[in-house]
Amino acid sequence: MPTPPLPSGAGLSRRALLGGIGAAGAALLLAGCAPSGVRSGGRTEITFYQTKPEAIGYFSDLVDRFNASQSSIRVVHDSTSGIAAGFVRGNPPDIAAFTYNLEMARFMERGALSDLSDMPEAATIRPEVQQLVDQYATYPGRTSVLPYSITAASVIYDQRLFADRGVEVPTTWEEFLAACQTFTSAGVTPIYSTFKEPWTVAQGLFDYTTGGMLDVADFYERMNAEGTAVGRTGSVSFEKDFAEPVDRMIQLAGLSNPNRNSRGYGDGNLAMAEGQAAMLMQGPWALGEISKSNPDARIGTFPLPMTADPDDRKVRVNLDLALWVPESSSKKSAAREFLSYLMQPDIHDAYNRDFLAFGTTTTAPPVTDERIVGMQTYYDEARFYQGASKAIPLTIPAENYVQGIVTGASAQGTLRTMDADWRRLALRA
Amino acid sequence: MSAVDKAVPRRRGRRTDPVFYLFLLPTLAMFTLAITLPAAMGVFFSFTNSIGFGDFDMVGVTNYVAMATDPAILGSYGFTMGFALVTVLAVNVIALLLAIGLTSRISAKNALRAVFVIPMVISGIIIAFVFNFLFSNSVPALGAALGIDSLRDSILANADTAWIGIVIVTAWQAIPSTLLIYIAGLLAIPGEVYEAGALDGASGWKQLKSITLPLVAGYIVINTIIGFKNFLNSYDIIVGLTNGGPGTSTRSIAMTIFSGFTGGDYAYQMANATIFFLIAVAIALVQLRITRGKAAV
Amino acid sequence: MADTALVTPTLSDAPTPGGAGRDADAPTRRRRGRVGQERPNRLVTVLLALASLTVLVPIYVTVTMALKTSAQAVDGNAFSLPAPLDLTNFAAAWRLTDFPRAFAISTLVTAATVIGTVVLASMASYAISRNWDRKLFRYSFFYLLAAMFLPFPVVALSQIKLTGLVGLDNPGGVAVLHIMFQLSFSMLLFTAFLRSLPEELEESARLDGASTWQVFWRLVFPLLAPMSATVGIFAFLASWNDFAMPSLITADPSLQTLPVLQQIFQTQFSNDYNVAFASYLMAMAPAIVVYLVTQRWVMAGVTQGAIK
Repeated sequence: MPTPPLPSGAGLSRRALLGGIGAAGAALLLAGCAPSGVRSGGRTEITFYQTKPEAIGYFSDLVDRFNASQSSIRVVHDSTSGIAAGFVRGNPPDIAAFTYNLEMARFMERGALSDLSDMPEAATIRPEVQQLVDQYATYPGRTSVLPYSITAASVIYDQRLFADRGVEVPTTWEEFLAACQTFTSAGVTPIYSTFKEPWTVAQGLFDYTTGGMLDVADFYERMNAEGTAVGRTGSVSFEKDFAEPVDRMIQLAGLSNPNRNSRGYGDGNLAMAEGQAAMLMQGPWALGEISKSNPDARIGTFPLPMTADPDDRKVRVNLDLALWVPESSSKKSAAREFLSYLMQPDIHDAYNRDFLAFGTTTTAPPVTDERIVGMQTYYDEARFYQGASKAIPLTIPAENYVQGIVTGASAQGTLRTMDADWRRLALRA
Repeated sequence: MSAVDKAVPRRRGRRTDPVFYLFLLPTLAMFTLAITLPAAMGVFFSFTNSIGFGDFDMVGVTNYVAMATDPAILGSYGFTMGFALVTVLAVNVIALLLAIGLTSRISAKNALRAVFVIPMVISGIIIAFVFNFLFSNSVPALGAALGIDSLRDSILANADTAWIGIVIVTAWQAIPSTLLIYIAGLLAIPGEVYEAGALDGASGWKQLKSITLPLVAGYIVINTIIGFKNFLNSYDIIVGLTNGGPGTSTRSIAMTIFSGFTGGDYAYQMANATIFFLIAVAIALVQLRITRGKAAV
Repeated sequence: MADTALVTPTLSDAPTPGGAGRDADAPTRRRRGRVGQERPNRLVTVLLALASLTVLVPIYVTVTMALKTSAQAVDGNAFSLPAPLDLTNFAAAWRLTDFPRAFAISTLVTAATVIGTVVLASMASYAISRNWDRKLFRYSFFYLLAAMFLPFPVVALSQIKLTGLVGLDNPGGVAVLHIMFQLSFSMLLFTAFLRSLPEELEESARLDGASTWQVFWRLVFPLLAPMSATVGIFAFLASWNDFAMPSLITADPSLQTLPVLQQIFQTQFSNDYNVAFASYLMAMAPAIVVYLVTQRWVMAGVTQGAIK
């Protein structure tokens, strides 16, 4: 049998074959890249990212109400994803209500969040509150984030125990120490500490002592400016500037319950509910827990005085919820409509009232809950600061360091390590 | 590769059937898109300060310089390398002994062989969860019952001993595949070799040392190098046992690199990944050199 | 994504062992070659049986814990037998973790991986081994092989970004990547095996008028069956048991595979050890069953590969 012709019978030349494969591959790629302008039944669908556990149910209801109130937009509530993942994959949510801190600031710095300054709601935010956003980072020319809810934190105290011992709310550091002394003599634990969980130390004792004695925002501004010179040739450093506050923090640790190293967040709340201690250095999120355990507890808050001057007193705040719309979202107008809905005064104020937080707008009403009303004047007069522990990048395990200090590690050594970590990070920032 | 020598010489001038291109090129293209492209992207981003999205600048070798003095990175390399070395040793010694046993005259051979292969069939993360339970609960209970103080606390909770748990579990899973190779290698030794040795009076330990070991040397080399490479990549088991803890004492290279995904250290970890790749390549080259030498055996 | 055994074709020019057991002699003076007529070495058998406990005990604990009641699960005695027997843990784990969904996803991903790997690797290996004299094919072989030394962590972050961009941040993307990572090892096995297939068979088929396409699918691929089985089983194990890649690539947690599911629910299981172990058992079982059924081919395939 003669040798059959070379099998190009199908007319497929090599070049045509390769071209076909290339075209198919390109088509596949493009199909995958197509923007997913999902329309569900004619509505524009947007993803709303909100993961604060206590508020998930609350916002789910809001989402349902919004969806029912109009027919052009359908909001889908995402309460489980991680925040960075969506951005890295190129499909972030369309709008988010999320805590705003140093980590989020990096998103903003890189232009990942869109400009909201043209929205009427942006003009209603209190300037000092908007400034809190700028303390971490700025993206020039943009208002990337609209603060939605501020939680203020200070010393939680048992009003009955104070009244029983005739202790007034202290206004200076000396008065505070005296109050602790009174309690100790009466056999009452002055301060309940929960050192098993590092975050409680960082956000409690550490932030309160440092925030009460220094200008935290200014400190970090200089730390960021000096970068690799910190602790060496620079003018500012953890070792130098935090030495005294940390010393006092250790002093307060010594005034705490003997089992402080093995107690956790939940234990602290329970102890306050049962009247086992006079004071707890914890945020307003604990107030709900305490009331749950003992609805009859009489709890209040006052800022930790760190100096001899009562006017120096400040409360710790954090931007518990802030609204933003990613730059890469393809449905910004729909997202903004939902944003406006969320910022309607009745909805906005209701949230802050229900969650023991402070409103961020100029028209927000003062708080009425007796547990946090003690901080209202400080908030009104902008006598607040964001926690020192929150301005340290996560790659430096500040919380663990601070936990080490209160459980016996050398304060100076730890602060020096923090300076070294800072320098190394600054090198590649 | 000796394959080149064994290829059937083709008639010159014959055009290659386009179907062969169809067999190869789509796969080649997909592979390039799925593997080579990401690798190249990674190298590119290692010279930037990107956090994985948004704006970024080119920063030259800053990331690499910073890595050189970063205790977290250096610690993860130290831990991973050390753990890989110990595990490779343990796995190969045990697997070889088991292989020798399983290829000798024993009863229930097939059943025993089947049993020893089971660990490789289970997912690493699940194995780790099971052993996590055993180390955290059963072993301390056993230690308390037997009065052995050092076992009273979970070895995983102590920064100095957690690595031991990881070695044990990793070895548990890795021994089967190593074992299979050794069994194949031992079965390939012709009986005549042993007969000749027996005639010379070699038996038992001497037989092992002078006959068996040299003939499986090549397999030992392969298993060692493949094993080491695999253990450098350790992730699943460590996540399930200690998740890098206590503290960061058992954080592997892979864990550190993956943390760049959500930790905002994207570009920095890309540099880490690139260095890791170079090390893997170096190890591969070592393997090629050594096995090329052994091919003559 | 640990590689299983790597066997280079350059190793060992020892003769074919012929599949079953020609075993090395135990260190006693025995006559050779009389299979089944020597007394088995008691000592070694016993030692091996003891050693096998290291494998059997964790399995035993897994099974018994899965059958215990909640009360007995936390009594601190892991080695006790379940009394009373509680069969409801499986149902509880089934419900809690939405097991059927993850099982379906794992099955789909693994099936796609096995089929994709066998088909693509065999095709590419055939093309390469039959065109070895051409640079493109020869270099492609080394290029594809090089990936064996490319650890997943090196490309992981970029793959996350890319799969997100093209909409493959889901089990589909995971399957594609699984296939790609399995290619190197599979092609190594296939090319080794193909070397043993005499080309004369294909030549005569061509003379009878068959096109290359037909030669491959009608003649060669069926002959590759034993190695396809081996490749398929390794691909199955690698895909079914993989944790790192699905956990990073798949964006939606409700679309995760079984191993990742175990980790997602680990905190929710907390002290319900009995439910947790039931869940682990259900996730482990398919792979163990598949392996026990197909282990013969693995052994054969590895041996063949080692020789070639």
